[in-house]
Formats: sequence, structure tokens, C-alpha cells
Amino acid sequence: MNMVQQFDPAQVDYSQDLGTPGAESDLKVTVYIDGMPVSVPEGTSVMRAAAMVGANIPKLCATDNLNAFGSCRLCLVEIEGRPGTPASCTTPCAEGMSVHTQTPRLDRLRKGVMELYISDHPLDCLTCPANGDCELQDMAGAVGLRDVRYGMEGENHLDRGKDESNPYFTFDSSKCIVCSRCVRACSEVQGTFALTIAGRGFGSEVSPSEQQPFLDSECVSCGACVQACPTATLQEKSVIDLGVPSRKVKTTCAYCGVGCSFTAELRGDEVVRMVPDKQGGANEGHSCVKGRFAWGYAQHQDRVTTPLVRDSIEDEWRPVDWDEAIRFAADKLNTIKSQHGVDAVGGITSSRCTNEEVYVVQKMVRAAFGTNNIDTCARVCHSPTGYGLKQTFGTSAGTQDFASVERSDAIMVIGANPTDAHPVFGSRMKRRLREGADLIVIDPRSIDLVRSPHIQAEHHLQLMPGTNVAVLNAISHVVATEGLMDDNFVYERCNKTSFKAWLDFISLPENSPEALAEITGVDAESLRAAARAYATAGNGAIYYGLGVTEHSQGSTMVMAMANLAMATGNIGRLGVGVNPLRGQNNVQGSCDMGSFPHEFVGYRHVSDETVREQFSAMWGVTLREDPGMRIPNMLDSAVAGEFRGIYIQGEDIAQSDPNTNHVAEALRAMECVIVQDLFLNETSHFAHVFLPGTSFLEKDGTFTNAERRINRVRPVMTSRTGLSEWEATCALSEAMGYPMPYESASEIMDEIAELTPTFAGVSFDLLDKLGSVQWPCNEQAPEGTPIMHKDAFVRGEGQFMTTPYVPTDERSTRKFPLLLTTGRILSQYNVGAQTRRTDNVVWHAEDVLDIHEADAEARGVKDGDWIEIASRAGQTRMRARISDDIPAGVVYTTFHHPVSGTNVITTDNSDWATNCPEYKVTAVEIRPSLEQRA
Amino acid sequence: MSTSGDYKQQHLIKMANQIATSIPTREDIPGQISSHMRQFWTSEMLQTLRQIAAETPDILSEDVHSALQTL
Repeated sequence: MNMVQQFDPAQVDYSQDLGTPGAESDLKVTVYIDGMPVSVPEGTSVMRAAAMVGANIPKLCATDNLNAFGSCRLCLVEIEGRPGTPASCTTPCAEGMSVHTQTPRLDRLRKGVMELYISDHPLDCLTCPANGDCELQDMAGAVGLRDVRYGMEGENHLDRGKDESNPYFTFDSSKCIVCSRCVRACSEVQGTFALTIAGRGFGSEVSPSEQQPFLDSECVSCGACVQACPTATLQEKSVIDLGVPSRKVKTTCAYCGVGCSFTAELRGDEVVRMVPDKQGGANEGHSCVKGRFAWGYAQHQDRVTTPLVRDSIEDEWRPVDWDEAIRFAADKLNTIKSQHGVDAVGGITSSRCTNEEVYVVQKMVRAAFGTNNIDTCARVCHSPTGYGLKQTFGTSAGTQDFASVERSDAIMVIGANPTDAHPVFGSRMKRRLREGADLIVIDPRSIDLVRSPHIQAEHHLQLMPGTNVAVLNAISHVVATEGLMDDNFVYERCNKTSFKAWLDFISLPENSPEALAEITGVDAESLRAAARAYATAGNGAIYYGLGVTEHSQGSTMVMAMANLAMATGNIGRLGVGVNPLRGQNNVQGSCDMGSFPHEFVGYRHVSDETVREQFSAMWGVTLREDPGMRIPNMLDSAVAGEFRGIYIQGEDIAQSDPNTNHVAEALRAMECVIVQDLFLNETSHFAHVFLPGTSFLEKDGTFTNAERRINRVRPVMTSRTGLSEWEATCALSEAMGYPMPYESASEIMDEIAELTPTFAGVSFDLLDKLGSVQWPCNEQAPEGTPIMHKDAFVRGEGQFMTTPYVPTDERSTRKFPLLLTTGRILSQYNVGAQTRRTDNVVWHAEDVLDIHEADAEARGVKDGDWIEIASRAGQTRMRARISDDIPAGVVYTTFHHPVSGTNVITTDNSDWATNCPEYKVTAVEIRPSLEQRA
Repeated sequence: MSTSGDYKQQHLIKMANQIATSIPTREDIPGQISSHMRQFWTSEMLQTLRQIAAETPDILSEDVHSALQTL
């Protein structure tokens, strides 16, 4: 045993498995582990206390992300003054307790237990995929087991079959020791409850759902069970194929805005598996099917790794080297600039790229192109968040860290589907809901959270699409008129003039639930009950997604939520807040990095002379003081023949942006479209230059997640393109006459920190030291800021905004009587460029249209039928699925597959303040597709 | 006016009128519209809107016209 001589809490290695979770208590107890004193929070298990001083007690059913279970009987200890040999995992430390972890008696007992396990386990260690990475093997060694006296001929489970149905892992029941770690991981960590122990006694076995194959069960393939398994029973297929990894690199997932930390485990330059990092601030060791398993796209055969150019989009692509591609692109852009002026060109940054990559693109556009025509794909998702929260709170970001939800008493989920779109945070939220927090769901759809194992939303306000603001106004009306406000908070923290104006407005009878019920479709009494639940719970938290922002009143809705949070005092402490669930991995970061046409890095307006001079001095160029064009304005100008060249970083606007026909017309009209991406996407059909991009496994930089957490993205493998994306951007900038001579991504971050007060303390060194940090990170907060607006709002006083409900122009009519709303599902991501190139297609091979039974029947549509969907913007086809998740009058689909053409039918209606498209409300009609049914 | 030019102008008209009807706090609406446009609209967009206001005044709301006076 490698015992330390003196217990030093600072020396505890929390990356190792300490056996049981930590206890939260201000009270400390001191115990003696083999004579070594150790002080731990009251409630800490003996196993954990022992592990903290390096006395690792043998264990099989225990692991420190699951509650102690006490079933394997391997972790027995002796405690002075107590009879027997209790399990150390389930025995809490008590003051003065003296524990012995190694005695001859314990050695005998443990060896006997292990002997029984091994007597019913295949003796195929040398050929087992987990050889060298197996806790059962380790424990057999730890207890000194040398032979099995019972032989292997008795009754056993060795002939049980192997379930290989899941595309990413196998379930070999013959290797199972029924420790229940997988079952508990599925329940406690993931919260899906897909696994159980079927049978009794010797017949006990792990069972997905009701003894179904994994693929057919309720399993969501998060990998928590695989992670928890101490044997090779649940084993990644990639490990079976490639062998046990030999080196590790910590990095950050590139899918959703949760921003999970992972350890990439490799053999040479080949990724074997991605293992969620227990010390990752966002995910704390959990993962979802995308981050854990769907990374194979990085090595997909469709990857384009050589630059391509062509004079006309009618021509074939011509592979060229980097120098030629850069020269070609620079010449085209410079020609446009000289002939049509600097405002004839612009760029779009990507929320899938690192902060450093985004920063250099917007810098290139402002400094080398000479225009502020820079926008980001966040335009089409969370731009209203930036606008609304800046107006009310003073900064364009969510208020909390993810862990905050563990202190929430009432959770309001609006227009978000966390279990599908932000699954790791969804699991964290579900854990709190199972502990008893009230759940209020405001969504036209019955998302999974409304009713799932051990969770039932107390309030589901199933509103009609497009009526968010009316519902929030009605909730605030109840709060204001029933005396549910936090008067002290408002008095001390908020602007009184704006509050009075808001109070006068919100108290008007026209904002009552009764007055708005007909518009919203929400029963007044149900709404009143939800309002009371949120306002009186103690800690009320709001989480929201694109179901809030992607509306004509997206920005107004963000302000309405901020009003409600301020009026009820639910800002500035754990458990509360207004929290955007960002869609892509670096939406927050791409916005922070100055991607909007009116703002420099850190959300400072281009017209601010002091700020502009600071940037001009640092960049050595005169910068424009007037805002540039947003994406829709660039596209409009392109169709008008005025905007002619664009640099598009990691974004497929021909698939993701609304009114595809208009986008295509705009792209087709341009003289130079440069696409930087992993694959030839829909937009590249209109491109003249294709610059191969790098996957997250090749990138060096940072992502910033939805909780403002800046995480390191480390290169796991060498770049397949020969250049990192920021190097390619810098090369283009230099070819256009403006050099950006950075030596490293770290150097770019240093420049960002120097120019940005909220990033002033950020550096790669700090991130390597702390793991991650949440901005603001500066002299006032050297280790970051998990909770914002604690003592005062960033803008000083919280600003109430009156938020009149203005119906969208998009109305259902006799011609288009149904309202289409769109979203995403668990297994696919955004336009599917990555996930469609993985085995995730087994769960979602095509987009389908969910339709209520009554609407389907009225149109003669049956489940699985091909249908035509028409809107004012266009028409497309897909299969129908009869669903009771949506109310009559509403239909729903996803946009993960380009063939579906979902955005052919979405309109170019948009948020009044930010032009974020109104994806969530499109009036449509459907009819059976005669062609397909024939 | 070309069809493509129509599209761009129609979009600007819609944006301007939508700002007028949606601006949250309903006091000094023209002032808020002009402030919003100053922050987010390009000079060229403002110029085009002025031209629209001059050529087809009925197509823009009164508040937008008032806002344009101050821009």
C-alpha cells in the first residue's frame, strides 16, 4: 500500500476513483485509517476517507460517481470497537473511528469473495478486450487470488450470449458479475432507468428494458453503463477492434453548448475512445451518445483534406496546394474590393470553431477586408439572448453555472428540450427533479421531461407556437397582481423607473391569463398555478432554448424572462437565474469574440471611440465606426447584386438558414464564395474556394460553453489538412495585404485577453492550471465567475422592459392551417454534417414530420406515409409519423438531413431586434404524396 | 426597380415597420427606433430606407418616418 505519512488535503488526487461520492457538510470528523488521521466532511464513507490517504480498499461495486451499494462484499474493513467486518463503502466515518483496511482476517474474506466471482467468470484474460484495463482483473491481483478451489465446472453463466445490437458497445453477459454499477449509472447518472436486474438469486442478470436487445430498449447510449462496468461486460467496440489505448489527451467535445470535457484515449494517432472527464466542470464525468461515441466523422472518407478552387460553380473542383488556394481566394476578394468597394465583401464565423479561430476571422474581415460585414451562425440561434440579456442585465450571457440547478426548487423549462439537445445537462436537471424540485414546462410539445421515469412535470403549459411573450406576460401578471414579487430585491437591485413602468404595464387586465387564454391556448388556472409555483418555490430557475429565441419576438421574450426573474428576486445566487441552453459548442464564444457586425470582442460597440482606438492601435489599422451587415442583409444585398464575396467558416447556410431558395439565389449571385469546412456541404455547391477545415480532434484552442466556461481544446491528432484553421485564415489575410503573424493559438488568446476586460485573466497557462474558467476572469475574479450579478447587475441596476405581445405575421390560414415548429433530436446534431457520418444514423436515418392523429386523419395520412408539406416559402416531402407529443394544429420536424429540405419551407420572418429567423412558426399544409404512395 | 432590388427593399421595409411595432418600451418610439437603427443598421441600409420613405411614404409607419428625421 502506498500510504502517505501525513494527510494533506491538497495532495488528494481527485482524478482517481475514490469509491463513493464526496459528502457536503461543514462539519468535519476525524478518523484513523490504519493509524493515519484524516479529517473529512461528515457523511464521508470510510472507503473514500481511506482512498484520500492512499489506502485503496479493494472494491468492485463501488465507484465515486454512484451512491454506495454494498453488494460486492470486497471492501470489508475492521473497525475498532465494532463487531464484524462492515463494508467500507456504506459505512460513514464517525469521530475518532479507528479503521483497519488490511488484516489477515480481511485478506481471507476478500480472497474468498474474489474466488467466488472468478469461479463464474471466463478465464480468457489474455484475449479479453479489457485485458490490462479491467477492475476485476486488478482486484484479483490486489487480493492475491492464485487459484479457484471450486473449479469451473459447476453451474455458471459462461454460456450466456453477447448482445452486439448497439453500434458502439457490446454487452457480454457471460462476463457480468451483477455488481449493478451499470444499472445504477443508468438511473443515478443518466436518469433513463433503461437497465434493471431481472430475475432473482443465481438467475439475476442485467436487462435492458424488459430483456430486450440494447438497441431496441430505452437505452440512450450515453455510455454511463460502459464507463461504470468494472469488467468487459459492457465494452466499446472500438476497444475490441483496436485494443487498449496507450496514451491520453484531455480535450473538449465539439457538439452542443454543454461543452463536456473528455479524455481522448489513443493508440498512436488513432482515437480508440472518448472517455468523459470526471473533473470536467460542465459534465463531471458524464456524456451523451454524440460526445462519447459519435466522433468517427473526423476520419470519415468524405473529409476533404486538400484545398479546392474553381472559376465558376458550374466547373469541376480543382485540387490545389494551400499557397495556390490562398492566392486564388485573395485575388478574387481583392478584385471585388477594388471594383465594388469594401462593403461588397464580408464573412461569417462559426460556433463550431474555437475562440481563437473565430477571433482571427472577424479580425481579418474588419482589418484586411476593411468592413464590419462580419456575422456569425449565432445570428440564427441565440442572437436574441445577447440582445435581451444585455438590455436587462447588462451582459450577453447566462447567469449561472450548470451545477446551480442542483439548488433549484422550481425549474421552468421554456422552448428547450434538454434531454435531447443538451443531454448531459438534462441528466443533471433530472437528478434535481427526482429529488423533488417542481418542473414547469412551457412548450407546444410534450418533450421527454414532461413525463419520464420518476419525473412528471407539475405544470405543462402547452402553448400555441408564437405566443411565448403572451404566456410570460400572463405569468408575470399573476406574480405582480397576487403579491408574489420580491419587493426588497427590486428596491435594492433594480431601476425603479423602469420597474414602475413595467408594473403598470404588466398589471393591465389585458395581460391576465384569462384575457390571453384564447390566444395562447393555455388554460388560465393552469397558468396561474405555474406562476405561483415558480414565484414561491424559493429558488426559481429559468432554462430556455431556441424555442424562445427563434421567433419574431425572440428578443422581447428574453427580456420578459429577465423581468420575471428580477421581479421574483431569482437572480444572483445558486439555484436561480436566466439560463440560455446554447445550441452549438461555441455559440457563447463566437459571440464573445466579436462576431457580430456592430460589436468588437467583449460586446463593445464599434462606434465607441475609446474601444475602437484600442483595437486600431493593437491591430495597426483604422477601423470602421459604423455597423456592418447581418447575414440576411448580406444575402439580400447579394441578390441585389451589391454584395459579391463571402468567407464562410464552418457553417452550412444553404441547409441551416431559412428560406433555402433565397439563400441559394444569393450564393449563386456572388463572385467569390469561400467555404472552410470538413466536408463539401450544401453551401459548397455555390463555392469557388473550399478550404479544408480541421475537426475538434485536430484543433488547438478554446471553446466557451453555455455557462461561460472556457475549456481547452487540445490537439489529439495531427492535422489532416496540413494547416490549422487559424493559420489558413492568417495566410489569407496576409495575402490580402494584412499580415497576422501569430505563432500559436495561445498567442491569439493572449491578444484577446489584452483587449477584453472580461477575459483579462485568461491564458492557456491558467486554463491548464485550473482546468477551465468562467468569464469574467480578471483581476476582480482571477479564477472566474460561476454566478453573475451577485451583488449588482453588470449594467448597475437591473432594467425592466415592458414587453407587449405582438403576434407574428406568420398566421395559419385556410390555405396553410397548420403551424410547423422545428427542433433537434438526441442522436443527430444540427444539419447533421457530423452525426450523419457516424453510426448514429441507426437511430435517425431521416427527418420525419410529427403530426397529431386528428390532423392526419382529416388529411388521409397514415403513419409512415410520404407527404408533401407546403408553406408560403416553398415545398418539400418527408414521411409522416403520427404522434401525441404535439397538439392538434401543430406539426413538428427536425432538419438534420439535407434531403428533407426542412428549411425550404421555413420563411424569412425574423426577430424584430436581431433578425434571428422565426424557425419555430411556419404556417403549412400537408397532403399525402401521391407519387411516393404509388 | 429590379425584382432582386425589390426583395432587399421589401425586407428593409418589413424590418423597419417591425421594429416600430415591437420595440418593447412604448415611450418615445421614434427615438428608440433611431437609436436601434444607429446601433445595428449600416449606413447603406439607412440610405436605402430614406429613399424608400421619400418615394413610397405610405409603406412605412409614422414612427419610422419620425425616426428617420432624427437619423
